[in-house]
Amino acid sequence: MDLIDLSTVRGSTENFELFIDRLCRRLGVEYGSYATMNPVSGAVQGYATYGQAWKQHYMQANLHHVDPTIHKSALSIAPVDWGRFERDAKFHAVFRSAHDFGITPQGITVPIRGPYGDRGLLSVTASMSAADWRGLSRSIIGELQHAAVHLHDAVIRSGLVMPQLARPILSHREREVLQWVAAGKSQQDVGDILGISTRTVEVHLRSAREKLGALTTVQAAGRAIGLGLIHPR
Amino acid sequence: MIYVIDSLNKAKYKSLLDDMFRLRARVFHDRLGWDVEVTDGMETDLFDRLDPAHVISVDDQGEVVGCMRLLQTTGPHMLADVFASILDGEPPLRSSTLWEATRFCVDTARLGTGRGRNTISYVTSEVMIGAFEYAMQAGVTDAVAVIDPVMNRVLQRSGNAPYGYVGSPKDMGKVVAMAALMDCSAERIANIRAFAGIEGDVFADEVAGLIAAE
Repeated sequence: MDLIDLSTVRGSTENFELFIDRLCRRLGVEYGSYATMNPVSGAVQGYATYGQAWKQHYMQANLHHVDPTIHKSALSIAPVDWGRFERDAKFHAVFRSAHDFGITPQGITVPIRGPYGDRGLLSVTASMSAADWRGLSRSIIGELQHAAVHLHDAVIRSGLVMPQLARPILSHREREVLQWVAAGKSQQDVGDILGISTRTVEVHLRSAREKLGALTTVQAAGRAIGLGLIHPR
Repeated sequence: MIYVIDSLNKAKYKSLLDDMFRLRARVFHDRLGWDVEVTDGMETDLFDRLDPAHVISVDDQGEVVGCMRLLQTTGPHMLADVFASILDGEPPLRSSTLWEATRFCVDTARLGTGRGRNTISYVTSEVMIGAFEYAMQAGVTDAVAVIDPVMNRVLQRSGNAPYGYVGSPKDMGKVVAMAALMDCSAERIANIRAFAGIEGDVFADEVAGLIAAE
């Protein structure tokens, strides 16, 4: 099941929740959620695939004000396994009744920072043995990173707060690499042409993909052409 | 021994952090002559207030002998906001799987040359191993490091040569700064370990172990 490309649809709660739902199915986790804090007002906005009952309980008890998976994880540059909150009273306050709602306290949160001080958090949970969870979270962490920045940027773009993100700013090198890739060159070829290593080509490509909100290189090239950023002959 | 200190666990490691800021003052202000702010003998800047992660090497006597600061390139970071000149006016790379490493230094006054423990080469390698293992655990595959040509040569000679560069070297005070690309991979870590003769877990405690070692 493919991820929804959020840059092609107008941002809406339904699309964001569907994106998270498909991500969860693809990665083999149970529930997923995303939260962002408005850097100015501090208000927490979020989307989640949890059942209605848990969402209501969570909102009514104002758990998003104290939930360390949101507020603590936002302080980390690395994904935070919820095992790190084992001795955190607030974590237990949030998840004390989670069991009754069929929600596991086993999860991981991937923090993303945007260029304007905005922060977003993508979390997934799964109830399974601790060993299985370590293996699973390890194998999906790279995908979670890419999904997290894609979702966060889409959410920020959908709002009126941060319109600057709407037009991606590509460097000369990123445009050059995309241009050659769009012209059908392999990454190896591009490296040879530009006199840089294949890995350097790849890192510029990846950066360009994420700036363009694209999930694949082909998509990134298409979008860059559409935006007039590159002009393949 | 490596500590990873971020805004989640910094309360527990305040004295270690202060020692690190003192090391940075000695290196970047006193020795390299960078244009940095030093207060009470400690060098800190705006980016230290943006919840970075610090990778800190501590020797057997408990002294901080090396450090590096990590930030996500998706958010505010030095190449985007301070070292932009290195990028020749180009916008910076931005990826959730690319971290930026800055303020990378070792205590050259305390450490010896040559090989083995308590040498510049050993501590440099230990900090890099700590940073790369921490990054890999986070699903981060690459790092862009702001370094000087001296550090660049150290890396090239220690099984840890950058695979590429962005922008071009620029004058900063008494030294030149440049942005080097390195993969956070098992191969690179193995090369550094083999060169420096570092075996086993480099991380110090259970928190670092939980977040970084597996």
